[in-house]
Amino acid sequence: MSHVLVVGNGAAGTFSSWLLAKRGWRVTLVGRGTPSTAMSTGCLRSGPNLCRAEISEFLDNEKMPWTSGSREGISKIGTSYRCWNSPSHSTWNDSDAPKSIAVVGLDGHPSLQPHIISALLNARKIEARPFIIPSQVPSDVPLASSFLKDEAWETLAEELQGLSTEAILLPSFVTLQDYHRLDQLERRCGRTVMEAIAPLGAAGQRLADLMRWKAADSGVIIWDGRRATALDVQADAVRGATIAGGREVRDIAVDAVIIATGGPLVDGLVLKERDIGDPFGKFQIVRSEDPLKGGYDSSDGMLINISGRVMNNVAGAGDCISSEGRIYGSGLTEALESAYLAVRALEGA
Amino acid sequence: MRVDVLIIGGGATGAGIARDLALRGVDCLLLEMGDLCHGASGGNHGLLHSGGRYAVKDPASATECALENAILRRIAPFCIEDTGGLFVSLPEDDPSFAGTFIGSCRSTGVQMEELTAKEALLSEPGLSSRVTGCLKVNDGSIDPFSLVQANVDDARSNGAKVLNHCAVTGMTVEDEMVTEVKVRDRRGGLPSAIFPDMVVNAAGAWVDEVAKLAGCRVPMGLDQGSMLVLDGRQCRHVVNRLRPPSNGDIAVPNHTSTILGTTSRPASAPDDVTVSREDVDLLIKEASAMLPSLRECRAIRTYGGVRPLVGGGGRKASRSFAMLSEERAGNILSVAGGKLTTYRLMAEKVADRVCEMLGNSSNCRTHQEPLGPPADGKGDSISTARLIRKYGRTVSSIDTADPRMICSCEQVLRSEVTAVLKAGDAMTLADVMRRTRAGMGYCQGFDCSLSVLEIMMEEGHLDPISSLSEFLRERGRGLEQASGDQLRQEILRQQVLKGVYGLEGKQ
Repeated sequence: MSHVLVVGNGAAGTFSSWLLAKRGWRVTLVGRGTPSTAMSTGCLRSGPNLCRAEISEFLDNEKMPWTSGSREGISKIGTSYRCWNSPSHSTWNDSDAPKSIAVVGLDGHPSLQPHIISALLNARKIEARPFIIPSQVPSDVPLASSFLKDEAWETLAEELQGLSTEAILLPSFVTLQDYHRLDQLERRCGRTVMEAIAPLGAAGQRLADLMRWKAADSGVIIWDGRRATALDVQADAVRGATIAGGREVRDIAVDAVIIATGGPLVDGLVLKERDIGDPFGKFQIVRSEDPLKGGYDSSDGMLINISGRVMNNVAGAGDCISSEGRIYGSGLTEALESAYLAVRALEGA
Repeated sequence: MRVDVLIIGGGATGAGIARDLALRGVDCLLLEMGDLCHGASGGNHGLLHSGGRYAVKDPASATECALENAILRRIAPFCIEDTGGLFVSLPEDDPSFAGTFIGSCRSTGVQMEELTAKEALLSEPGLSSRVTGCLKVNDGSIDPFSLVQANVDDARSNGAKVLNHCAVTGMTVEDEMVTEVKVRDRRGGLPSAIFPDMVVNAAGAWVDEVAKLAGCRVPMGLDQGSMLVLDGRQCRHVVNRLRPPSNGDIAVPNHTSTILGTTSRPASAPDDVTVSREDVDLLIKEASAMLPSLRECRAIRTYGGVRPLVGGGGRKASRSFAMLSEERAGNILSVAGGKLTTYRLMAEKVADRVCEMLGNSSNCRTHQEPLGPPADGKGDSISTARLIRKYGRTVSSIDTADPRMICSCEQVLRSEVTAVLKAGDAMTLADVMRRTRAGMGYCQGFDCSLSVLEIMMEEGHLDPISSLSEFLRERGRGLEQASGDQLRQEILRQQVLKGVYGLEGKQ
């Protein structure tokens, strides 16, 4: 059984690990911390042209139902957010758009801004009004940590009982484990329960958790809190890697590597001054005016080493691959697509 | 609307004049087209000059600074941090300059004390070990927003009327007198025409533009200076380079940051504040020659200001000020030049002239009457001292029992924002920021702007998207030269604003 090392635990890393494990590889996934997937909105914006059956299969799960098709959600500041793949409570079908919405904020907590959202929805002829729930949650504590207990959900349900609007918009705070509670809440209130689209919060973490769980479920060995510190390159192939975490440093032998370390935002590619660079020092970097577009140079999914030769067994996936065509909002879907291509490239090698 | 004196310009000078006149019982109205501190009063490095910097080249300004420094420490201690200042020399500096500097300080009345390089390193451990000599002066850091607001508040409590976001758009001159002034009032409630007996033009870099409305000209040199804000207080003292004033020779610790200044180039217009990459590189290079660890600091943002200089511009121009009256419109008095440190003196001279013209024989009291509470820090917690520094006398309007924080970078309480909004001057997110510092920290308002806007929306008469876009656009300008971690954060900020929130095109 061939052993592949996947470096990076974001969308591209977990998806390629999952695909490889399902295709019979022994997969070790190392991730050093929170990936940028966990900072995303947890929704996929690009349409069907980038959404392969494998991606849908990867996202399909019993914990958090997914919807697909062009649907609309409401961002944390009240603007319209359109996407293609999203958790069921994030978006509505255009034909099901609610006529009236109660926008729920926890008093003084920055998780949702009911007055801003209501003003913007009203301007769009959607009847909306702020509904403020008294709260003692300090503003710098994420709401998710306050909704770990049944009692908190019970209190929330009681607060929402009296509302007469067609839909209720909640802040984004629901974890993967608790997602089913939104269905329960919906049944109990008899209203559509929506979750605002918010980056840097619960929704992205939920998606990252989901992807990680799917990868682990398919047999991927996940080493958390570790990073690949060195790659042993012989000729045009990687033969081994040094994995470090805490006081432990291990050298492992590998038959192939997928680099999925992410873009410059969370430091997958080292950002120095106004430019980016390869943390391993082994591969070619394409530099660009826009740091988001720079990254590893690749050829049919395989990385190119500093001598300009295509590596035999190292593929790149996700935002670490340079892409002139990358536009904002296609991030997650494109990362998944490039992970798919990376796996195909490795299998062809 | 009739008024004895109309003051145009809500910077330190205009606010100081309003206070001075109000204390003398003169009926006055101050109009500011933007927010208070719109121009150079907000675009400076917050330095309370000892006078040392001008001792050699501009002795008159040095003496003015030294005297006013002492007065401001007495009347406005709450907004001043007594950091002290060091002038340090490096091996490449002309060794004879120190002697000239010492002599000039003595002749201009600038207090100064010589330190050995070893003593300097003991009191300022971040200094380069290459420092060859050091002179200690009475520099300090000052919060210009707090200072100007205190002047405005005190002017109001003595009967003056002060309105920000009211621009003067035209003047009618009859028989060589300004008889009518047209205004555009963004907040509403003011008549569109003012009929003043006298007009004081304290519009700073815009002084010539205002004078033109009355058919007069005020020859000005507009000079742009760039500043760089570093995260955290990287030095204890104001640290200056002991050499003739040149680019990049000062670091000022102020609130939670360190401000590196400044550069000098001719400005094409009063709002030509653009900062170039070269300016940033130069500021870091020069300041880190004195304080080497600055090279490794996170640079939060850049900003620029336009110095309104009397006569010509540039480093050699006098930092003194002048009052000009014109025959073509005998009741308009323009004041130009000067420093933040000497704002009170300028105001006094202008108020003297105004009173003379109005036949009012009252004397100036601004050098005696305190502007706010003392802030000796004794018995105050750090958080209380910080609040007093920002709000002076009005600190009592803040409900400190409510622990909710709205800006975690700058530790701004929610109740600070509500108190500022209740006071009535703040109309925009940036207005709230200037008063509370919410949005000045390393996230540059990414985190707190929504929470501040939400509180403003509870009152409900704002257009949320244009308010947010206006604020974020202004913050974004300060991030154009971001690098390293700050650039990473800025990329994320841009992507979230454009991509997720859909503010594209409005940015």
